[in-house]
Amino acid sequence: MIVRPAQITDLPALLALARQAGPVLTTLPASEERLAHRLRWTQRAFAGQIERADADYLFVLEDDDQQVLGISALTGAIGLREPWYNYRVGMTVSSSPDLGIQRHIPTLFLNNEMTGQSEICSLFLRPDQRQGSHGRLLSVGRLLFVAEFPHLFGEKLIAELRGRADEQGCSPFWDSLGRHFFKMDFNHAHHLSGLGSKSFIAELMPRQPLYTCLLTEQAQAVIGKAHPNTEPALKILTAEGFTHEGYIDIFDAGPVIEAPLSKIRSVRDSQALVLAIGTPDDQAPIWLIHNRRLENCRITAAPARLAGNDLVVDRLTAKRLQLQPGDSVRAVPLLRSQAQAVAA
Amino acid sequence: MLVIRPVELTDLPQLQRLAHDSLVGVTSLPDNAERLRERILDSCTSFDQDVRTHGPENYFFVLEDLATRHLAGCSEILATAGFDEPFYSLRNRHFTSASRELNIEHGVPALSLCHDLNGHTLLRGFHIDAALVRSPASELLSRARLMFIAAHARRFAEAVITEIVGYSDDQGHSPFWDALGKHFFDLPYAEAERLCGLESRAFLAELMPQYPIYVPMLPQSAQDCIGRIHPDGQDAFDILEREGFETNSYIDLFDGGPTLHARLADIRSIAHSQTGTVILSDTLDARGRYLVSNDALKGYRAIVADLDYRPGQPVALSAEMCTALNVSDGSPVRVIAL
Repeated sequence: MIVRPAQITDLPALLALARQAGPVLTTLPASEERLAHRLRWTQRAFAGQIERADADYLFVLEDDDQQVLGISALTGAIGLREPWYNYRVGMTVSSSPDLGIQRHIPTLFLNNEMTGQSEICSLFLRPDQRQGSHGRLLSVGRLLFVAEFPHLFGEKLIAELRGRADEQGCSPFWDSLGRHFFKMDFNHAHHLSGLGSKSFIAELMPRQPLYTCLLTEQAQAVIGKAHPNTEPALKILTAEGFTHEGYIDIFDAGPVIEAPLSKIRSVRDSQALVLAIGTPDDQAPIWLIHNRRLENCRITAAPARLAGNDLVVDRLTAKRLQLQPGDSVRAVPLLRSQAQAVAA
Repeated sequence: MLVIRPVELTDLPQLQRLAHDSLVGVTSLPDNAERLRERILDSCTSFDQDVRTHGPENYFFVLEDLATRHLAGCSEILATAGFDEPFYSLRNRHFTSASRELNIEHGVPALSLCHDLNGHTLLRGFHIDAALVRSPASELLSRARLMFIAAHARRFAEAVITEIVGYSDDQGHSPFWDALGKHFFDLPYAEAERLCGLESRAFLAELMPQYPIYVPMLPQSAQDCIGRIHPDGQDAFDILEREGFETNSYIDLFDGGPTLHARLADIRSIAHSQTGTVILSDTLDARGRYLVSNDALKGYRAIVADLDYRPGQPVALSAEMCTALNVSDGSPVRVIAL
């Protein structure tokens, strides 16, 4: 199992995945034309031919039979080509000491504060593959890529997690707020957003701060709450050091989680090591290993043993990484707990 | 006979009764003896003052039954809204949301706190005994203020506004307040209005939201209150609407009640009232009903009278009318058809 850059030949497989994911994955619409465009673009990004503002790194998870099982992506920078909007949940205090009145009113401030940061997005793993370390490889693999090429990214990585919605896919936050300014339902707006019109839509939103006390109770209740389906992704990223600092999506109020590059576990703890082929012992922890290439990037997860400056892996792992013994790798234990075991 | 005259300190006990009976939301009438006393003294000073231009004066009138000395109502003119402290209202305006790419453009109404009405003359504190609602006396109580302005125009602004009490239910709950003000004050509507009567209104307004409130985000019951009149405010509204006042985009920030606005030149009792001299008459062959005022300042009086009035001719008044108006043969008076 490896993570590698998506290629134009992956188009049929990605189209199938996008159809399987459905409309929830707005950043990966099941449109052949758009996907083909994105693939051509990502190829140029991995070739280092694109400015950070336009860079879009799309990865696929592939098994040894060269079946594509999942995708994930990373952008060079958001908001540099068109504005990127979020709400920040701030506070307004209504206070009159003489009258004994002291009201704390959470207030939403529209902002472009994430401009220039990098986003991790478009994560989708085939439901029958959601086991073992596949999800972690697909998600955290991107972070190891960032660790290797920090100059291609902003100071922070962010992830917009899908917000809460009902069984019909309706967002109570949207119904209480966005709907009034668009006169369209959430799925339609979400669809337009996926087609790249997000900033157009945002431009319809009110510019002035919004008092949350004027939203419906259902809408207030979902502010900053992730959709239950995103819990596994949230758990992985939280363990990597991502935190919610009060930024939310302007459509469904899902949390925007963020982490400075230097605080991300797999970036901070990853190390450059020399690949050695041998027999890692049975108890060897799983390591996330990157071949340190940009265009021919390969990332895998495999049992490995640290011996001095050498990372000892089996032959198949080296083959998956397209490396020879003595080549340099960037690696980090897949789990924090294993990192502690390694340190011990 | 009922007559309008400036308030006097001896009116205090009766005014307390009126204040007690007055509708929640008529915030200029504090149900508090000390505050009412101040209000009366303030009015006396205003009538006394030699005024070059409109300032902080407040003219307080009462409707008195000359036979019984019973006060049946009261009303006020504040020469300049926002003179001593900002006069707050909510402006209801459309914000346009537009996207060329998506081919969407529509307006979203939003309420913004503002001081736009600062500087206007404000009619306020209108209260009349329930038995006299929709009677000529009610017209007199409201419009005598306009005739007073006609006689003393330099004491007032170019335009006059008034706020009509907004909707609240029988229990005194205002859906508009519950959806908006309550979040910022944590007080029931009636209590907020009571505090407004006692404390300065601006004092409370400072707790109000500074950012626009988008109307579609308010519950329907609150949206329905925007510009909606309390049933007991309808009479006051209708009288001024007939006078040429119009609603505008401003509403009361507590209850959402409408604001009425008119330029002096467009107000019927100001633009169309006629002045003439009194001629005492024993027999009046009344042809119509009129409001008559004596154009005085401190001694201002106004009554409703059935007259045989012809424009350009002296105004024939009975002895009783002359007494009520405190005028005699040859005195100037102002007349407008009821």
